[in-house]
Amino acid sequence: MNTVLPAVGAMALTLTLAAPASAQVTPDQIVATYADIAAAKYADSLTTAQTLQAAVAALTADPSQETLVAARTAWLAARVPYQQTEVYRFGNPIVDDWEGRVNAWPLDEGLIDYVDASYGGPTDANQFAALNVIASPQITLAGQVVDASTITPALIADTLNEADGIETNVARGYHAIEFLLWGQDLNGTGPGAGERPFTDYVAGDACTGGNCDRRAAYLTAATTLLVTDLEEMATAWATDGAARTAVTANPDAGLIAMLTGMGSLSYGEQAGERMRLGLMLNDPEEEHDCFSDNTHNSHYYDGLGVQNAYLGRYVRTDGSVIEGASLSDLVAAADPALDAEMTGKLDTTMTALGAIVTAAEGGFAYDMMLEQGNAEGEALVMAGVDGLIDQTRTIERITTTLGLDQIAFEGSDSLDDPTAVFQ
Amino acid sequence: MIRTVLALSVLSAAPVQADVSRAVTDHILPGFAQFATHAEALSATAAADCTPAAVQPAYQAAFDAWLGVANLHIGPSETGALSIAYWPDDRAFTPRALTALIADPASRDPATFAEVSIAARGLFALDMLLYDPAFAGYAAGDATCTLVQVVSADLAAQATALDAAWRDAFAAVLTSAGAPGNATYMTGDEALRALYTQLLTGLTFDADMRLARPLGTFDQPRPRMAEAWRSGRPLRNVVLSVKAAQGLAHALTDTDLPLTDAAVARVEVAASRIDDPAFQTVTDPQARLLVDVLHQRVAAVEVAIDTEIGGALGIAAGFNALDGD
Repeated sequence: MNTVLPAVGAMALTLTLAAPASAQVTPDQIVATYADIAAAKYADSLTTAQTLQAAVAALTADPSQETLVAARTAWLAARVPYQQTEVYRFGNPIVDDWEGRVNAWPLDEGLIDYVDASYGGPTDANQFAALNVIASPQITLAGQVVDASTITPALIADTLNEADGIETNVARGYHAIEFLLWGQDLNGTGPGAGERPFTDYVAGDACTGGNCDRRAAYLTAATTLLVTDLEEMATAWATDGAARTAVTANPDAGLIAMLTGMGSLSYGEQAGERMRLGLMLNDPEEEHDCFSDNTHNSHYYDGLGVQNAYLGRYVRTDGSVIEGASLSDLVAAADPALDAEMTGKLDTTMTALGAIVTAAEGGFAYDMMLEQGNAEGEALVMAGVDGLIDQTRTIERITTTLGLDQIAFEGSDSLDDPTAVFQ
Repeated sequence: MIRTVLALSVLSAAPVQADVSRAVTDHILPGFAQFATHAEALSATAAADCTPAAVQPAYQAAFDAWLGVANLHIGPSETGALSIAYWPDDRAFTPRALTALIADPASRDPATFAEVSIAARGLFALDMLLYDPAFAGYAAGDATCTLVQVVSADLAAQATALDAAWRDAFAAVLTSAGAPGNATYMTGDEALRALYTQLLTGLTFDADMRLARPLGTFDQPRPRMAEAWRSGRPLRNVVLSVKAAQGLAHALTDTDLPLTDAAVARVEVAASRIDDPAFQTVTDPQARLLVDVLHQRVAAVEVAIDTEIGGALGIAAGFNALDGD
């Protein structure tokens, strides 16, 4: 349930904020910054994905340890801007409807390629958890025989992804590519990430894992899809793009989208689904970037995205800065103490997420932190969780202080016509 | 005179007053106490005889009691609820974790059991151990029987701790909202919004998870995605959860809630028409239709509460745990 959500009448802001004037920022300026930052983040995600695509082409053309490592490095770099865009989910339907194509997680990777025997087979929830398309030129889905003899972007997008209507049948996006570059991480909560050998892409007798040509075709097709998908979203936030227009046409609705994205990502998604649940399951597969052991960075840049959205400032991959009128300015004008509370809590969260990065870079990987009974790991992860939960409370407070809860409220169907729903 | 005032107040739809203290005292704390009592009884039962036939009734009673407070995910329940009821389990962690515990005696040491994966703890671990053919064929003395005792004792310990944490600490945080030094709820409205959010989120969970998942699509219903289907609880869980929401709604406000009560009554009627309480017959179009009707009725309760409480008090729900994917 998204809460502070769309459906908007105007008013409230002007009412609430009319009093403390002087060089005050306006909602339209704030949402313009928000849209400009989105455009820059998706453009950066696109260029880094294109670099990844070139690296994948080099890997498949000439498989070697060097080309494999180069492709992995390009994937890691591509995650930096992308994770910072996640704060645009939840509040923006255009992003939310699209997101599953690029960053769906968790995945039953046995759908795509070979897995270790410990992975198991079909589950209660997913009959195709171990389908292994790369080894199967012909597959049967929901009683239909599917020709998978050539692995194309269309096959992945239209047939394999979410096959059987199951969300964990993730056939595309960053995590499918991650699996094809790293392979399963079979080290459990011990040190080490996935160790897929470059020979999984070598043609002929030297091929390991079988079907190297099909694996290369899959990796190439999935990377092509990622680039295409990111092009679409970069366009949506560019001048006159639909996602930009959706937030700028009605700036109050745009502010609600901003706060909804910040709160939903902080609480339900990152603190809950991605961090605390994995910790409580003690399962190394319950980490966001489980094949590459890059989870510490994914969490960090997700948190940074929330902070960007509030402060109206983003550092691009080339080092240049996009900044402008911010929510922080608006809140400071209405209630300086509340702005200080928000900036302070965002800082606290970033310090906690930064500590996870530092520990991981020092050899204490995120999956090791999830180990049963590992008190140090639990303390690191829970500090991040606590920070995210705490900042969500302040995001709610801001929504109320700005009068945005009442705006969202006035637009709800049930209140417009309470009797309609009982007919 | 009094009569006149009453009549006027009804006519002018007197502003609804919220009562967080009453919700805590009359609804929440008794709910946790009751769950603790039943969880302890379950543990005692399992300790005496851990075979499925002996333990199942106590498990059912404990699950019933849990639904009185399962919608609450704040304070001690923010994390505490997760290790009591880990569901859904789309990646089948529960059977894998239980299998590992059965194979390794050291891993099920009661002293350290609170550290094991939540997939192997709480009510859903028992659902599988006591009802799934892959586990429930055990006899007294088997490793699985011991594991049932350990899981039950751990559940009782969790229930007792949760009861105490609410009673001795978090109840006061809610009821002292707005007082100096209360950093969690800075105003009375914040505590009210927190409870209101729990109320609506619980109903959303009923509709989106407990019902929409097994309903699937018309062409592809998914009976195995029903909650606790092994122990035949899907329908009962929905009804008890909705009744708990109704109870909290009444405790939270001082006026009649005719729309809400009528909507809940419709839920009960819809529930009474469903033959299979486990929702395993949703593959039959007729049976699926009846579950679909129940789904709509539950959604209508949410709207009624939104109108009668949210609208009357001028509050919107805050963020909740279902906001993610």
